[in-house]
Amino acid sequence: MSSLPMYASESAKAASASESRYRITVPIAPARNARVIALDTRAASVARRISDGPWANARFYTCEAAPDRGPADEFLLYRLDGVPAALDDMLRDTDVVVIMATDDSGGTRAAAIGSACSARAITTAGVVLGDGFEADDAVAALRPHARVLLLSADESDAFELLRALRV
Amino acid sequence: MLRQDINELLTQTGPGTPMGDLFRQYWIPALLAEELPENDSPPVRVKLLSERLIAFRDSEGRYGLIDEFCAHRGASLWFGRNEGSGLRCPYHGWKYDVTGQCIEVPSEADNSSFCENVKLRAYPLVKVGDVLWTHMGDPAKRPDLPEFEFAHVPPEQTYTSKRWQQCNWLQAFEGGIDSSHVTFLHSGGLKSDPLFKGAKGNEYNMKDTKPFFEVADSEGGLFVGARRNAEEGSYYWRITPYVMPAFTMVPPRGDHPLHGHFWVPIDDENCWTYSFDYHPGRPLTAAERQAMIDGHGVHSKNIPGTYRPMANMDNDYLIDREAQKRGETYSGVAGIAMQDASLQESMGPIVDRTKERLVPADSGIIKARQKLRKAAIALRDEGVTPPGVDTAHHRVRSAAVVLPQAESFLDSCRDAIKATPGVPHSSV
Repeated sequence: MSSLPMYASESAKAASASESRYRITVPIAPARNARVIALDTRAASVARRISDGPWANARFYTCEAAPDRGPADEFLLYRLDGVPAALDDMLRDTDVVVIMATDDSGGTRAAAIGSACSARAITTAGVVLGDGFEADDAVAALRPHARVLLLSADESDAFELLRALRV
Repeated sequence: MLRQDINELLTQTGPGTPMGDLFRQYWIPALLAEELPENDSPPVRVKLLSERLIAFRDSEGRYGLIDEFCAHRGASLWFGRNEGSGLRCPYHGWKYDVTGQCIEVPSEADNSSFCENVKLRAYPLVKVGDVLWTHMGDPAKRPDLPEFEFAHVPPEQTYTSKRWQQCNWLQAFEGGIDSSHVTFLHSGGLKSDPLFKGAKGNEYNMKDTKPFFEVADSEGGLFVGARRNAEEGSYYWRITPYVMPAFTMVPPRGDHPLHGHFWVPIDDENCWTYSFDYHPGRPLTAAERQAMIDGHGVHSKNIPGTYRPMANMDNDYLIDREAQKRGETYSGVAGIAMQDASLQESMGPIVDRTKERLVPADSGIIKARQKLRKAAIALRDEGVTPPGVDTAHHRVRSAAVVLPQAESFLDSCRDAIKATPGVPHSSV
């Protein structure tokens, strides 16, 4: 009886077009429980536009500085329908936070949210939208915390990022 | 994940497809110049973008890339006789010049004008550096020749190889902008590969296995910055440029040469990976060039006389589980190139991207797909010339630098990521 060759090359079969039809196909459940936070007015507009997407678990928020001139990193969160939200509640059971900015006005808040996410081991991504670099401070504030910073002139990148992440 | 229709749009490059039309806007590598080493050398079969072609170099040294099959009865011109300033089909003697024009039909009467009306589809074939480039699109919109630095430095400063990769071009290309796999898959190579080892940057790579990423648009494509911790108060940045549609560079290490790839669709289930090394400031040493020939760095050791890697899917990439246990390689497959190719080919001929689970660290890939899709649709619907056609977009370099934590790699590395003749590359 002849022995098998040293390399039986199962991988060669597995990589063929005809073998591809034997891949196990089961529906992929959304894996991410995402929160999307818009740091400034234009970012909030983008968040409103993309919030109508086919999202399973993603929730969208706006973020404003506290009006009573508290510490610079104090801020208020709102759902898109205007209902206030608490940071702790928002981050509970979340595994990815996408922070969107279009200018520098939210730089301090970006750092505070990023820090809160880091402390909770929540993956953070930053999407900075704009042609020029109107959001340098926001980028710098996010840099220590955001696993990824996507600097783009194309608003649809935010949508595509969320879709690719299956949120 | 991608919708199935978008996956098909990005992976299909045959004639008449949106991505096929996009690729046909650019000069792309057709073959290495070494494949047609002298006048009247044997013709070479070339399949590009799902078109079967024949390349030859005529008696005057002119290069031609024409339809592979004789207009008479459809015989392959690979069997042709390359002689007397043309390629002659050995079946009945029809002869073609480098423009595809039929110049002799022996069965016709002397002085017959019949052959004037017989012309095979032909594309230009031009040598720039070590590569023969072609443009398969509208001749009226033919751009200037490519200006990638690897193809323009003096010959003693550059080396290019190629290998057949048995999968769709997109999944091969995506490996070129995916910096996060280096710490795992190529960790053995950082310690031992003669074209990688010894750089200070390797220490940062190995100490910090969780890089952060910044992805930014460029005029021709993207810059992807991968950031790792360096000394107190500073970051080690590895910057990967991507020029559309399929040119990527690998960030350098120490004084080793710069390297990168051009990913060229053969058909929808195969691609050519062109791999280059060059040093902007000095000739490659004999040891460096030999290491490249031997398949180190981004190159592969190919079966002699072919461009098929010796380690390939038919021999399970010569996987060595003992070397894996000893820590010499991370996956058991030897060589940076085949470590990548083995995994990319294992995904299947065209990976089903509807089943992916991407993570934020994959943002470079997400963004590149988005740019390709948008460019293909803008070309199809509005005739918009895509990024990367303008030769100014070709003048980029990869870089590896250490920067203070507060600095943006884009702001601090404007000169480093620009290809400037005679200026050393930025590398740690």
